[in-house]
Amino acid sequence: MPAAIRLRSVTKSYSKGGQTLRVLDELDLDMDAATFYALMGPSGSGKTTLLNLVGGLDQADEGVVQVGDEDLAAMQSSELAEWRSEHVGFVFQGFNLLPVLSARENVELPLLLAPLSRRQRRQQAERALELVGLADRMNHKPRELSGGQEQRVAIARAIATDPQVILADEPTGDLDRDTADAVLEMLRRLNRELHKTILMVTHDPQAATYADKTIHLDKGKLGRIEENATPTGGS
Amino acid sequence: MAIVPLQYNVRSLFVRSSSTILTVLAVGATIAVLAGMLSLQQGFAVLFQERGRTDLALFMRQGATSEGESGITLEQCNILKKEVPEVIRDDGGRPMASAEMFLAVRLRKFDGGETNVAIRGVEPMTFAIHGDDVVITEGENFTPGTDELIVGVGLLERIANCRVGDNLQINTSTFRIVGAFSGKGGYRSEIWGDVDRLSDALERPVRSRILARVSPDADLDAIAARYDDDLRLQPKVMNERDYLASQTSSLTTRFMFVGGFLALIMGIGAVFTGTNSMLAAIGARTHEIGILKAVGYKPWAIFVAFLGESLLLGLLGGVVGCLLVLPLQGAETGTVNSTFSEVTFAFRTTPAAMLTSILFAAGLGIVGGVVPAWRASRMTPTQALRRG
Ligand SMILES: Nc1ncnc2c1ncn2[C@@H]1O[C@H](COP(=O)(O)OP(=O)(O)OP(=O)(O)O)[C@@H](O)[C@H]1O
Ligand SMILES: [Mg+2]
Repeated sequence: MPAAIRLRSVTKSYSKGGQTLRVLDELDLDMDAATFYALMGPSGSGKTTLLNLVGGLDQADEGVVQVGDEDLAAMQSSELAEWRSEHVGFVFQGFNLLPVLSARENVELPLLLAPLSRRQRRQQAERALELVGLADRMNHKPRELSGGQEQRVAIARAIATDPQVILADEPTGDLDRDTADAVLEMLRRLNRELHKTILMVTHDPQAATYADKTIHLDKGKLGRIEENATPTGGS
Repeated sequence: MAIVPLQYNVRSLFVRSSSTILTVLAVGATIAVLAGMLSLQQGFAVLFQERGRTDLALFMRQGATSEGESGITLEQCNILKKEVPEVIRDDGGRPMASAEMFLAVRLRKFDGGETNVAIRGVEPMTFAIHGDDVVITEGENFTPGTDELIVGVGLLERIANCRVGDNLQINTSTFRIVGAFSGKGGYRSEIWGDVDRLSDALERPVRSRILARVSPDADLDAIAARYDDDLRLQPKVMNERDYLASQTSSLTTRFMFVGGFLALIMGIGAVFTGTNSMLAAIGARTHEIGILKAVGYKPWAIFVAFLGESLLLGLLGGVVGCLLVLPLQGAETGTVNSTFSEVTFAFRTTPAAMLTSILFAAGLGIVGGVVPAWRASRMTPTQALRRG
């Protein structure tokens, strides 16, 4: 079931050297289920912080962070870990993979946390890798893959447990235009065909056009939310 | 219940191979010392226990903990030889008891330097009491009443002037070596001769102990109890096995103390090396820890994974340490025992000693890994991902 995301007066501060920096300030945000969002804003505006709160990697100081039916603010850190393993998949900018494990073993990492037999785990990992077009690279180590292939393995890992939400923090930041387009196309397919709710941080306006909507964030405050009328690629 | 896949930690060990090798060697050296000490101690235990007989009774001075400390006068010897009904008689009706004198003297070793060698004055009855346990292997037995000696086979290659045919100076008297004998355990490292002649030469008017054959179920405590109020003598009575066990236990304690102390000091060093190696590993892999956490691995799973990695380092070191001492298996060596005489014994790497060493190595790995693993498990995912 696709999940909607709801933030109510979310505040997050960091204290550095006695100074408190209010990164997110009473933020309200509603995101529809099964929708692909791009999150844009200047460097330091709190994009990663927001993504981490939605993904349960960190917790808000105040406010409500609701993903699907769950209120993340109420959870302990080990409950959050369990929740993450079932409900979200992450794709980061780079170095997403454990270098000593093969592509398939990396994709199996979240599956090891689910009650699956060895065979089911293998099948599900292989299916995810097929979906991102890397079935023939299954036994390669990350250093034997290109940057784009690494990101696709990361996407395979993010969808391996079939979570409702995929969070991507500048997933194409290190990639050239063509490779980036392929990865973005893949994310859009996950949204269109598998109805994933996707939140993707990006600095690249062209990458943002792959999303349905673009959220603008500036100095911890929400700006406008744009509808992208004509997504690129034409699918 | 899910834990981080083992191959992640195993392969990571191989990836940082130079740091892994260093730690494994540090643990390995510690374990080699420990396993070596345990093997020596095993060799000792076998040396003393293999020949301990329950049908041999030893009479010593009350309060003496070893025959080197004991002294019994000749009158007392005669009383004990004749008066104790538990002592078995031989075919000629004579009690199978013999007064022995025991003393350690300094003798020259072949490889230079001196060592203490046990000299034992015995009576002809001693050979009847030991029966087949003492055999002349070369030359002949000494003639009672003469300045002749026989040498335990364990000394032949170690002590100068102890080959058959050699003359050996003891104090101011010259004794002639006429034979070599083999016996169980410590006897193999002694020199035997006529008790009266040796007492004269060494100016020892008293005897060290009475050795007597008794039936294996004789109540030795009852014998001692009979002399409780006797003004002439109050002997300490024990069978040979118990005596040797008591001698070994003090040696064992000493060995364990020295070995344990060395292993402990080296172990502390190894733990620091291990901790250092793991802290460096965790520092270098902070981002990987972040990924594992983001994927949903719980803090305790991270803790177990890195503790396991450290345990693995320890076990590898344990195996290396044991492999280092294995070639010494069976090697003969000499040392000074609690009566300060030279004994030779074999190095015995028993499975139990190996197992103890491996367990100790595992302990080192765990102790060295606790702090780093705890640190890794406490990192929040965002901290871990940010520092990468
Ligand atoms: N753990 C932390 N401790 C202290 N300050 C932090 C911490 N995490 C983030 N910040 C600060 O909060 C602010 C927002 O950080 P965040 O990473 O969310 O920005 P961002 O929008 O993702 O920026 P970028 O586009 O550069 O990735 C920054 O000023 C950052 O320095
Ligand atoms: Mg960021």
